[in-house]
Amino acid sequence: MAFLRRALAAVGIAGIIAAVLRLRGSGGTPPQSGGWRELSGPGLR
Amino acid sequence: MRVLVCGAGAVGARAARHLVADAGTEAVLVDDPDRRRRAAVVASLGGKADAADDADLGAADIVVLTSPPSRQVAIAKRAVAAGRHVVSTADSVGAVEDLLDLHAEARERNVVVAVGAGFGPGLSCVLAKHAAGQFDSVDEIHVAHHGTGGPACARQHHAALRGVGFDWRDHSWRRRPPGSGRELCFFPDPIGGSDCYRAALPDALLLVPAFPGVSRVTARLAATRRDRLTAGLPMLRRPHAEGRIGGLRVEVRGRRGHMRDTVVYGAVDRPAVAAGTAAAVTARWIASGQTLATGAAGLAALVEPLPFLHELARAGVRAAVFEGL
Repeated sequence: MAFLRRALAAVGIAGIIAAVLRLRGSGGTPPQSGGWRELSGPGLR
Repeated sequence: MRVLVCGAGAVGARAARHLVADAGTEAVLVDDPDRRRRAAVVASLGGKADAADDADLGAADIVVLTSPPSRQVAIAKRAVAAGRHVVSTADSVGAVEDLLDLHAEARERNVVVAVGAGFGPGLSCVLAKHAAGQFDSVDEIHVAHHGTGGPACARQHHAALRGVGFDWRDHSWRRRPPGSGRELCFFPDPIGGSDCYRAALPDALLLVPAFPGVSRVTARLAATRRDRLTAGLPMLRRPHAEGRIGGLRVEVRGRRGHMRDTVVYGAVDRPAVAAGTAAAVTARWIASGQTLATGAAGLAALVEPLPFLHELARAGVRAAVFEGL
């Protein structure tokens, strides 16, 4: 019984950690220079 | 040309409106299982439009499929068997695979099946082709989507976040778990930065055949934490009638002489509006014989990107380039 409880607790904790890792924070760095410009001209460059 | 538009939702109504406004359009027939919506759309389009049934394939030269992807394949098969051109806005992996399977029959019957001719996929494929024109060879294409159009698009967005993604890497297909591969992608303003994840998106299936020799093709979908947390559940509330502004980001890496370089194109618009416009322009191109091939393929393999983008820009769908990489 104790073994079963420990196993269930381990699975539960693992699930919580997985959920936190899946949902936490955001990553990456915004571009430090440059920007968007509408394509224009006959070549749409 | 006579066009049958199957699906009078957010995308279909816009496509029909563009087609009705075209001088070369003789008639636009509109079909939708929701008879009240069909009647409302037909009434809003004026004298060239009429209600129809998808059984009326013989009455049209081109069939534009803007219904939910699951309904499109059966109609496309009947249309190709009847020798009719097809423009599909399907954005699910399964529907795109099934539509691409029509290639041999479409070639045999000398008809075009434009697969994924919407905003994303669709405009994304055209932007990739346009960027590829600046390189001697293309190594990598990375596409990111943001936002949704009508309810069917919102349901597809939800389903994509729990479906297996397909990446093209080192000239072979790799299956990727949904929600993995987080990347902060920057879309044109006003969207800006958004976390994007792997999902069941059909872009790579359409892009790989159009770019022989490309070694990596990936597609990612912008999603919030709530989107990802609830992806495995049924949708908790009814999808909106139409989403807000959406965006595309297409990054192409390649070689120019001995140099390696990167070009990033993007677009922002209401996805249903842009998808309807792209579908209508594709139908017009097929009718006027401007498409590059027959058979079933994505827009990257079917249209010359520069005049296509010019025509989209005249219709109000404009693309942008990221400068300063």
